[in-house]
Amino acid sequence: MSKINIKNLSYQYSLGNERALKDISITINDGDFIGVIGANKAGKTTFCKALAGLVPHFYKGDFSGNIIIDDLNTKENSISNISLKVGLVFQDPFNQISGAKLTVYDEVAFGLENIGLERAKMIERIDYYLELMGITAQKNSNPFELSGGQMQRLAIASIMAREPNIFVLDEPTSQLDPQGSEEVFEAVDKLREKNLTVIMVSQKVEKIAKYANNILLLNQGKVIDFDKTEKVFSRDDLKEFGVRPPVYTEIAKELKLKNEQKNYPITKEELEKLVVNEYGQNFSE
Amino acid sequence: MRSISLYVAKDSLIHKIDPITKLIYTSVSVISPFIMPTILVASIFVLANLVILALGKVLKKVIPIISFVVLIIVTIFLIQGMFYGGNQTELFTIFSLTFYLEGLTYALRIALRAINILLTFSILILTAKPSELIESMVRRGLSPKIGYVMHSVLQIIPIMSSKASTIMDAQKSRGMETEGNLWVRMKAFIPLIGPLVMNSLVDTHQRSLALEVRSFSAETKKTFLNEEELPAGMKYLRILFVMILIAVIVWRISL
Repeated sequence: MSKINIKNLSYQYSLGNERALKDISITINDGDFIGVIGANKAGKTTFCKALAGLVPHFYKGDFSGNIIIDDLNTKENSISNISLKVGLVFQDPFNQISGAKLTVYDEVAFGLENIGLERAKMIERIDYYLELMGITAQKNSNPFELSGGQMQRLAIASIMAREPNIFVLDEPTSQLDPQGSEEVFEAVDKLREKNLTVIMVSQKVEKIAKYANNILLLNQGKVIDFDKTEKVFSRDDLKEFGVRPPVYTEIAKELKLKNEQKNYPITKEELEKLVVNEYGQNFSE
Repeated sequence: MRSISLYVAKDSLIHKIDPITKLIYTSVSVISPFIMPTILVASIFVLANLVILALGKVLKKVIPIISFVVLIIVTIFLIQGMFYGGNQTELFTIFSLTFYLEGLTYALRIALRAINILLTFSILILTAKPSELIESMVRRGLSPKIGYVMHSVLQIIPIMSSKASTIMDAQKSRGMETEGNLWVRMKAFIPLIGPLVMNSLVDTHQRSLALEVRSFSAETKKTFLNEEELPAGMKYLRILFVMILIAVIVWRISL
């Protein structure tokens, strides 16, 4: 369990013309599922890279502020150290395969061998996370022979097996077909059972609305909003920041249906409930 | 996606020998004919290698490799047989070309050494799993980064080749001529190489990030998923190979 404290975080890439992140200050609590949304160039990927320490350790640039995970300041620790607390999954599943291992089983072991985990624990974790991600049947396959969805689940299993407290996913479904996307979201949903802190960038707002309890809305590197999912998706100015609300929220807006907290519903189930309350069972059917 | 490894999976006595013992044998077999440059020593190792390859059920796989160097060996015999500096004893003449005993003996020595090197490395390549070989070397102090490069090349080259086909198809679909005479093919090569190199650079960058977040550069002592099992008798086999090398060195010194 880890708490993330971000204070006055700003960053500019060494070849960038302007800051990719501008004075971000937020606190993320243990076990939160944060959805990160925003238009292109909002700073979503840079934010993920900063959480994992790639910014500023891998990408040199103008970095200021602090990201403190428990008592670990990312600025003062190596990527390797940070990676024990923060697991990062990228957009492209293909490039997350190490290329050094010939089987799915060995691929998951790669990140565990690097941290010197003893063999018995390694086997225990690999078996558990392959099962959790539903790819045990593929354990002897070559990682490059998997489908996109399976490959992304392998990437998640490889990071999960290292048992970080914080799990950051940067658009893990952007290059996947609907079936592959569904597989990944189901896999991430399973992580909630372990009470991990999950930070996920995704353009699939319906899915984000379903899983995230808080939303971080970024625009041009600045935090526009960081609040409960229903509150952020209920904003009237969301489209100004290049984000559309979930389709159920849009329908509710058209029908002017709000819940008890004066927010629009964000999931199908919530909308259905409000519709039934307002118009009766027959209308909903 | 298949690896480009030449390893042939067979159930044989030779396959059961661990990669490090094979590596020691490779060193002894390659070095010995140079320390003791006689036809006898080279012939013994060539013969031993052929027996090992036969026991490893991979002898057939060596034929194409040997055929590849036949032309070079024939050339060595022709040139040394006729023009070797120490030529004195005429052996035979064909179409007014005279071949000498000294030159042909010298050529035979070179040829045997070349064939010996090929056969020795064939044993290593065909019967030792690259992953196990590299892992064994990393366990013994080879830098994991070098090990990674050696290993990833085997997997990533077929991927690049597959990407090249995709790019080629994309260029063809936009009307580019890719088949025909040499000039047409050369022209098609340029639009292929640009995207391929750029894609590969981007992939490498992405992959290096993915490796970093999995502690590839960690200074912690690495552990290994696979246990290194030393089959019975391997220790003695290794000692035997080292003793053979020592014997060859002693033989050479005593001459």
